Amino acid sequence: MGNYEPKIVAFVCNWCSYAGADKAGMLKLNYSTDVKLIRMMCSGRVDPQFVLDAFRKGADGVMILGCHPGDCHYRSGNLKAMRRFNLLKKMMSQFGIDGRRVKIDWIAAGEAERFQKVANEMAETVENLGQLHLRGYVESEVQ
Amino acid sequence: MAKPKVALYWCASCGGCDEAVVDLAENILDVVAAVDIILWPIAMDFKYKDIEAMEDGSIAVSFINGAIRTGEQKHIAELLRRKSGLVVAFGSCSSLGGIPALANLTSRRKIFDRSYHNSPTVVNPENIEPKMKASVDGHVLKLPEFFKTVYKLNDVIDVDYYLPGCPPTPELIANAVTAILEGKLPPKGAILSPDKSLCTSCDRNETKPEDVTISKIKRVIDIEVDPEKCFLAQGIICMGPATRDGCGQSCINGNMPCTGCFGPTDSCRDQGAKMIATLGAILEGDDENAVDKVIEGIVDPAGTFYRYAMSASLLGGARKEVENE
Amino acid sequence: MMSEARRKTSLFLCGCSTHISDTIDLKAVSEWAKKRGDINVIEIHNLLCSPDGKKFFAESLAKNKPDNIIVAACSPKMHEKTFQDIAEEAGINMSHVQMANIREHVSWVTKDKEKAIVKAEALINASLKRVMLAEDLEKHSMEIVSEILIIGGGIAGIEAALTASTAGRKVYIVEKNISLGGTIIQTEEIAPNMECSPCLLAPRLSEVRDDPNITVITNAEVTDVLGFYGNFVAKIRKRARYVDDSCIGCEACFEVCPVTLDSEFHLGLGTRKAIYTLFSGSVPAVAVIDKGNCKHFIDNSCDACVAACPFGSINFDEKDEDIELNVGSILIATGYNNGEVSQFDRLGYGKIENVYTLPEFERIASSNGPSNGEIKLKNDKKPSSVAVVHCAGSLCDEGIPYCSGVCCIGAAKVGELVRKQIPDAKVFNIHNDLVFAGPKENAFFKKQVEEGTQFIKCSDLETIEIRGKDGKILVEGDGFSPIKVDMVVLSTGMTPAPGTVELAEMLNVDLENDGFFKADHELLHATGTSLDGVYIAGCAAGPCNVATSVTRAKSAIGDAISKLVPGREIELEMMTAIIDEEKCGGCKLCITVCPYKAIIYNEKENVSEVTEAICRGCGTCVASCPSGAAKAKHFTDEQIYAEIGGLLYG
Repeated sequence: MGNYEPKIVAFVCNWCSYAGADKAGMLKLNYSTDVKLIRMMCSGRVDPQFVLDAFRKGADGVMILGCHPGDCHYRSGNLKAMRRFNLLKKMMSQFGIDGRRVKIDWIAAGEAERFQKVANEMAETVENLGQLHLRGYVESEVQ
Repeated sequence: MAKPKVALYWCASCGGCDEAVVDLAENILDVVAAVDIILWPIAMDFKYKDIEAMEDGSIAVSFINGAIRTGEQKHIAELLRRKSGLVVAFGSCSSLGGIPALANLTSRRKIFDRSYHNSPTVVNPENIEPKMKASVDGHVLKLPEFFKTVYKLNDVIDVDYYLPGCPPTPELIANAVTAILEGKLPPKGAILSPDKSLCTSCDRNETKPEDVTISKIKRVIDIEVDPEKCFLAQGIICMGPATRDGCGQSCINGNMPCTGCFGPTDSCRDQGAKMIATLGAILEGDDENAVDKVIEGIVDPAGTFYRYAMSASLLGGARKEVENE
Repeated sequence: MMSEARRKTSLFLCGCSTHISDTIDLKAVSEWAKKRGDINVIEIHNLLCSPDGKKFFAESLAKNKPDNIIVAACSPKMHEKTFQDIAEEAGINMSHVQMANIREHVSWVTKDKEKAIVKAEALINASLKRVMLAEDLEKHSMEIVSEILIIGGGIAGIEAALTASTAGRKVYIVEKNISLGGTIIQTEEIAPNMECSPCLLAPRLSEVRDDPNITVITNAEVTDVLGFYGNFVAKIRKRARYVDDSCIGCEACFEVCPVTLDSEFHLGLGTRKAIYTLFSGSVPAVAVIDKGNCKHFIDNSCDACVAACPFGSINFDEKDEDIELNVGSILIATGYNNGEVSQFDRLGYGKIENVYTLPEFERIASSNGPSNGEIKLKNDKKPSSVAVVHCAGSLCDEGIPYCSGVCCIGAAKVGELVRKQIPDAKVFNIHNDLVFAGPKENAFFKKQVEEGTQFIKCSDLETIEIRGKDGKILVEGDGFSPIKVDMVVLSTGMTPAPGTVELAEMLNVDLENDGFFKADHELLHATGTSLDGVYIAGCAAGPCNVATSVTRAKSAIGDAISKLVPGREIELEMMTAIIDEEKCGGCKLCITVCPYKAIIYNEKENVSEVTEAICRGCGTCVASCPSGAAKAKHFTDEQIYAEIGGLLYG
């Protein structure tokens, strides 16, 4: 893999996972700089278009992190996310894209260690999978 | 006054778009009376070199249907672009990639293997394959390149307008031709059909309940389809919500669900992802196993959600490794 | 979209007094930002949230008048609001302040300083791309609705209503049953003070009836609740009584009604007619016709009540009514259900004569009960011995797994009531454990022992067998000699009221594992729920006695009215979804996914519309909208696409 550093975009919900990541910061839990976060209000806001757009713009892996089932700040947005992304993963396999490149997981506001673990595992998984060369990759859209 | 010159061309297509022009019926006589058709390979005999000899921009409008799969198609598209004032991408394949672009899920190698070697009806003991150049008896024969990827028209040339549909309806064609002849054109880049989803004109929409949770995906062969009721409410995947209006609901009227040939509305970047966003959220199941069980019912998600819009999709097709196999 | 005027951008780099600057070389970041050419002002400060830093921030805004501001500092959860407020004061809409979280997400979690710079730059770049597309957010507020809905007209609901009314607040009581009173009215005397419950309740019921601030809706259920704290809309279905308000409850119709049925109020031990009230003196006094059993409705063969009624109150044409109430808070006071024991064959309930549950015994001992308060056996003889089995159906997996905490005193009361009528009767209380918490309760227990109740310890309550033998009832179990008695009383526990799950779902509040409503905080907010503006009182919040029920009710209502001050405004969610009617295809799928029922379908225009006052801004509908007609304010598709592109740069 050489100097390859994977690019991982994580869509995280404001209430649980973003707070979990903040807590990882407070506890100084180092994790891979390959993982970068985009704050959403709810994992239910994450449109599969965003995930594909991230891949198109050069991401090698995408995470959707929300509240644990039953704990969604907005009742059930996380379940809708889970349903969408299980379907998306099935479809992406037809594009030759390894399902491990899209990870949906639940991290509560207090689960700093878990956030660190999930982030590092994803970075490692994606690094092992290698760069995602996408047919639709459009360099001009990345700016 | 000389009649405006019009070209009709087909690339990777089935001929249905040309058939749609013929389906203008008696209206085609008005069209023929109003314009001078200078190229229409499927219907009349013309020579490319005559087009090449024309002055740049001298064709008022070129209607190009079909996706771009070969070097020849790209070449003619570029030629018509040069010679035309306006280029209209005609039909789903030209606008979005269409059915031919589903081949982007596989590789050129696999297509050749299938077509020239493995298909049960193929007899090819010498394993001959099309090559761009071949020497036969001292003569060099050339064939256009078979691209690795199927493109939509605006991937290879600048396109002024899009007329979606598989094929576009005679009404949309007539409206487009009238608008062009009368010079009443929308801004460049416009898709010449309403920018709302198909549900807006679907008679069945009023039968759709406010809670459309789907517990089991069904196919039209699985059940007796209620001819009045919303397909989604029957558990049948209908692409209508993620597809633009303007087709006149010919499939719905035939008691078949929409398969999405008009592509997405202007506000969506990716028809398939948008349908996954919508459909996924209304599937039943509060844990992964339960949801996966429902998802099992969607046998071919890529083919279902990107039947016509693969070239226009964010992913574009299978990843490079597949493309380059 | 970005207009020409929205171009001037200021970037603030905060060192967070070394928390950031020790790891991230802010000078280097500043150089990088300068080189880009699209950031007009770049400022570095050692601690931007300090008084000095805030002043520095405000002065920079005043001087440079940026359109967009990026604050590269800590988490937006820490200080986004701090900087947004200062920006608002400077006339810059809060939406144009974007935090780049380079502390929690970079300096605190990254050791490699080079990588930290690169990541910080990526976050700043993403913030820049995002903020360039920001659209102004408008603040909305609305006056709160100060009315309160109380679900359940038992003692908790009644006391809460009267308390609110004392403060001059208007309340609605919605009661599922045909009159108020709940379960407390089915008990005559309340231990340990043996207070007369009907005597306690009667004046309270009259007060409620006559209170202009209290609207009582009985024979009614809440069918749906929309909205949020300060502005709920509750939909109520009020079932037809077929007797109008002119009825004074004179009971003349009862005598002529030919249909006799088991009385629910007497727990099946007594009877009522097809036209009935729960008890004499109920509020409301108006009788009700049991439509399913009334001969008029079954085959039109009877209208005896019409002839008997001196007031012409019978109205067979009455229809169910749908009522919408606009309230600011909701108090759940739905009470409890009696624990079930019929699933335990060994307890003999329902099979052996003279085996009753404690609530049934309470009916038998009540003067308005089926035997007018006379404690007697099925054969009308007085029992000479009674066994009371504690924890019947409780503390086991097949029944109630927990201790309800209030049944022991009721079980101990049996002896008191029996001896009052049959002084020489023997009373045995079979238990494994006893709960008489508190001095008065404990004194009551001691009194029972002194007066003759034998408390017998059974080593394992699950071994208790109750069988009929020689015209008597034999109670056996581990750890004690078998007892032969005339009557057995099974002390049952408390379970959640019927419909609790549905109500919780409707209101979007959480339940405990035991099925009762979950407190917002067990210690500090025991009568609040997981949802703002929804409260719990009485046994809806878990098993409790009358005193605690009322205390909870007053606590909850006090909390509610202290917040719902008439005239007070509440800020509404700014980051709502909106649907562009020009683009909406009316596919209605957003309605399916909205967790708050905030989207309605406009039949006339064939489009869906967001009720912004209800929308909480989760954006689920926006992600779902298949035609891209829905937009999430401050989290638009374009902003997120821009952020994705910005994050992946470099």
